[in-house]
Amino acid sequence: MVRIITNLQKWAQTLKICWSNLLTYRVNFLLQVLGPTFVFFFIKYNLWSTIFNHKSDIVIQGYHLPEMLEYHLWGLLISLWATGHNSMNLAEDIRLGRISNYLIYPFNFWEYHSANFLAFQVLQLGIGLITFTLFLYGDFYHQLSLIPFFKGLVYCQLVGIFWFGVQYMLGLMAFWLEETWILRVIFQMITSFLSGAVIPLEFYPKWLTQILDYTPFPYLGYYPIKIFMGDSHLMLKGIFALCLWMLPVFLLNRLIWKKGMRLYTAAGM
Amino acid sequence: MIIAKGLTKEFISYQKRPGLLGSISSLYKREYTTKQAVNSFDLEIKKGEIIGLLGPNGAGKTTLMKMFTGIIVPSHGQLEVLGFKPFERHKEFRKKIALVMGQKSQLWWDIPALDSFLLLQKYYEVPQKQFKERLDYMAELLDVQRLLEVHVRKLSLGERMKMELMASLLHNPEVIFLDEPTIGLDLVAQEKIRQFVKDFQKEHQTTIILTSHYMADVSELCQRLVLIFEGQKAFDGAISEFENFLGNEKSITFHFEESINQRTPFDKFSPKWNPEFTQVELRMPIEGLRQDCIEILKNFPVTDFASDNVPIENVMKTLLNNPEILVGKNNH
Repeated sequence: MVRIITNLQKWAQTLKICWSNLLTYRVNFLLQVLGPTFVFFFIKYNLWSTIFNHKSDIVIQGYHLPEMLEYHLWGLLISLWATGHNSMNLAEDIRLGRISNYLIYPFNFWEYHSANFLAFQVLQLGIGLITFTLFLYGDFYHQLSLIPFFKGLVYCQLVGIFWFGVQYMLGLMAFWLEETWILRVIFQMITSFLSGAVIPLEFYPKWLTQILDYTPFPYLGYYPIKIFMGDSHLMLKGIFALCLWMLPVFLLNRLIWKKGMRLYTAAGM
Repeated sequence: MIIAKGLTKEFISYQKRPGLLGSISSLYKREYTTKQAVNSFDLEIKKGEIIGLLGPNGAGKTTLMKMFTGIIVPSHGQLEVLGFKPFERHKEFRKKIALVMGQKSQLWWDIPALDSFLLLQKYYEVPQKQFKERLDYMAELLDVQRLLEVHVRKLSLGERMKMELMASLLHNPEVIFLDEPTIGLDLVAQEKIRQFVKDFQKEHQTTIILTSHYMADVSELCQRLVLIFEGQKAFDGAISEFENFLGNEKSITFHFEESINQRTPFDKFSPKWNPEFTQVELRMPIEGLRQDCIEILKNFPVTDFASDNVPIENVMKTLLNNPEILVGKNNH
């Protein structure tokens, strides 16, 4: 019991440090908050309005314009609540030899970065909620109700954990690669397309969506959007699929870490 | 406390020819070379000792430190620190050691040092009362009380180094590894840090392993010196032994009334003149010392002279320039 409490204290103090680190650069922080919203308005809103020719009676693949905009708005919120974290710090820690500190502290590297993720997630939850509330002033939500909203939020946390696992893996590649941002960008692009964040999956040929069902992608975008929009029956399948995918990701991370550590020379220390 | 037997670390690196063509050819064909950074290193360190680890750049000092602290894995050999195998990085082991790197910060850049200290307090599970006592004690000794709440990135190098030291000593480690703790600091700050380490060690009987390029650090702090050359141990003994390493020589300094023009008689004693040629430092063999000095006193307008052992700095310099001396010594 004492052990658990001292461990919790370590995590709590780390969270505090991470928060103050995250909030140090206010402009950076503000851009991070506002960026996705601008993208939504300037690109998605305009693009889809043009495609639908500003008429709400046109239906494309089962979507009216208001539905399509709502779909993308939830996509924006999910990018804040679930898929905002990146492993930049982690890769930098490895590349610049800063990981040596964590090898010496009685608090592990993965613990520190998990705490960092947790701190980030909590902040993002707040930012997402603010964004969500701001959009209440426009005519965006058509299928909003409390239960699907909370289900969606819970599901987003699961997506967040899976996302963190993958980001962690990409960050660990810094043991072998000079720069890992390119991997992150590739992964992000692929995910945006295959998860349904750019175009709803109904627009894709059936054979492709059938294949995608066996990949983690739809469960990162399309599923949470649909859960928020009231398709609660997708929740169980989504949770099951994500958990199934999480297992190899976290096992692989352990393996990569072990391999990387053997290779690590603490350059520049 | 620390036992190393046949400790070896090999690094594999690939060779790249210069230029764009070299970069392209290295994409499909790479030549790998193995470098032995540390080779069959034996060392035993007892509790409470302060050891100076010396050697030129690239000799393997830092690699040794990294192995001692568990940051990297040895390729061969045995290593035990405080009864633990460092690379297993047992949490109990990590709680008992500290590493200070002069060239690398372990404090968080964007927050005050005190916040980092509070975090480390939790990591090392230091009770509040002890934490406060140690913090006050060290802050006073290093004269940094008013800097605790300043963002680390706003501190000067010397101030930051003091904070780094405090950060690594808050948990009262049994072994401290100091990797060039005074690098880049001015003389006053160097002196302050040295004095602090000395006082701390005296009070807590901590074992300290120190690397430094400043001989003053070593000669003031360490009782024992370990010299490492090309990954191998070249000398291991007391500082006084090391000073006599170059055989029976003394360092003699003469001051003259006026500038000396006739300087050839001094050439055989590796003279070091001041720019005005009114002062010279000589390395003279003890054998015939009396006669040689009389000659100089007789023939030159000497106003003052002093004799000392060859400073450790000079011993080091001579050894770096002539590593064959060491090989000769080791074979004896």
